[in-house]
Amino acid sequence: MALTKDDVRGIADYARIALTEQELDQMHAYLNEAIQMLEPIRQYDLDGVEPTFHPIGGLRNVMADDQPDANGRALGVDEVLRNAAVRQGRLFCVPSILGVCLEENDGAS
Amino acid sequence: MHLDGLSAAQIAAGVAAGEFSATEVARASLDAIASNEPRVQAFLQVSADLALEAAARIDARRAAKQELGVLAGVPVAFKDNMNLVGTRTTCASRMLGGYESTYTATCVRRLLDADAIPMGKTNMDEFAFGSSTESSAFYPTRNPWDASRVPGGSSGGSAAAVASGEVPLSLGSDTGGSIRQPAAFCGVVGMKPTYGVVSRYGVVAFGSSLDQVGPLGRTVSDVALAMNALVADGRDKLDSTSQDFRVNFLSQLDKLVEGMRVGVIPRLMEHQSLSVEVRQGMEVAQRALGEQGIELVEVELPNMASAIAAYYVIGPAEAFSNLARFDGVRFGYREPGCATLAEQTALSRAHGFGAEAKRRQMLGAYLLASGVYQTYYYPAQQVRTLITDDYRAAFERCDAILLPVTPTVAWHFGEVSDPTQMYAADLFTISCNIAGNCGISVPVGLGADSGMPLAAQLQGPAFFDHKLLRIAHALERGLASNGDTPLCLSGGERA
Repeated sequence: MALTKDDVRGIADYARIALTEQELDQMHAYLNEAIQMLEPIRQYDLDGVEPTFHPIGGLRNVMADDQPDANGRALGVDEVLRNAAVRQGRLFCVPSILGVCLEENDGAS
Repeated sequence: MHLDGLSAAQIAAGVAAGEFSATEVARASLDAIASNEPRVQAFLQVSADLALEAAARIDARRAAKQELGVLAGVPVAFKDNMNLVGTRTTCASRMLGGYESTYTATCVRRLLDADAIPMGKTNMDEFAFGSSTESSAFYPTRNPWDASRVPGGSSGGSAAAVASGEVPLSLGSDTGGSIRQPAAFCGVVGMKPTYGVVSRYGVVAFGSSLDQVGPLGRTVSDVALAMNALVADGRDKLDSTSQDFRVNFLSQLDKLVEGMRVGVIPRLMEHQSLSVEVRQGMEVAQRALGEQGIELVEVELPNMASAIAAYYVIGPAEAFSNLARFDGVRFGYREPGCATLAEQTALSRAHGFGAEAKRRQMLGAYLLASGVYQTYYYPAQQVRTLITDDYRAAFERCDAILLPVTPTVAWHFGEVSDPTQMYAADLFTISCNIAGNCGISVPVGLGADSGMPLAAQLQGPAFFDHKLLRIAHALERGLASNGDTPLCLSGGERA
């Protein structure tokens, strides 16, 4: 069943990619073509076949000791912040997360 | 001095013996880069200062009679998804256009620990999504054999830098063929090691269960030399998938291959997508292997036709997860003037990523959505089991499988513009990544009509990379004895 343009709009929202109307049209055509290409996957009878999520089985989490890296691999704050577009002192800066100004909301609830 | 024709091994030996200095070699590489780059555009960044500093250190150590590494004074180039302090790591994306590495990838570190000289960072398809290097946000790389054709991708810059004689060795990464295919298009040797053999620490992730770093060089023995350096320190504890696989690949090359078996899949050798030239190349390869005393046996990989479908589920799903980190906050492009975080994220991603990067992430986002997951993602991982089992059965009958790398020689710019048409050309390379096996592309001559490089692919079972290299070396030897292999663009001789 083919995706509608509204479906594609929903995926873009979920993927956090703001697409223009023209891009949505192109993406709509692309996704339906790509999904068609995946059709062989649905033709299999896979009852009883175990999935292989990773070529190396038996992976386990590797936990480091809870102390600063003795080899100096832990990055300093300035290094960590070096590639941030906007920083303030030791902090990354972001716009309002909730998108509303607290003052405006005062007493509203 | 000129680098022309000198192998990595010859350079390292010459530097160690004092025939020439590492600084002379570095300058020769910079000269080659300066004269070739206007045409080829293999590099996104040339790290001349880092190169000359490293060369001076090597020369000083030699003067002090200290032992030098196995890549002493060998100029190397790194795909621009590998971090190296002192360079930008852009993944050929506007998203990371100004990103400065804050640490160095283990694969890069190990080549530098072996005294290689870092010449710079090479062009690629954006975030490694592509097979032509046309999706680089900055500029395309041109095929050194014919500038009107693509170099392949996604490691197109790494292949072109070696083919044009700018460096004897480079590193690429291979998620579905991204080392082997550009190596084939540019007439160089390119190896995708077994998953887990080379650390992925510090390499920008695309498909975490598929990605593997490997070397590109002009000869199989140079690739084996680079492999020695990559595995020298064993398992990398900074990558939980890294395996301890310390093998002297170089010393295995000349062991006897007589009695070894190489599988051929008749159905694929006659595949409708193969061009006449590629078929001829495969015949040349079969003959050369046979003449080296290798027995050719028929094998079958029944589920290989579904590998493209499985790959284009697993790859985009993993890519979507990996690229979710690009939100414009900690690093990467940030859209200015946004009122909310959500708007900033969506616009930074919209304007930071190019068209193919958006397509892959949209596909991955869809495939991982609730309800869709059970239809595609989970079954794709079950098909992965079938493909892996196919290989296991085939490798009970042979030591390696001979395949084409690509259906055609390098195509012209713009010739393949439809994304799914480009995906289909990955047919012969991706199943190797799905199973986590090793594979290598070896040049076998030039197409009679196109004049472009032809290549053969050998795939081996996981953790038999040393045997794969031995068979690849035998193939190369067989070709040389037939006079079939004059593949060096810059006038030198292939070893």
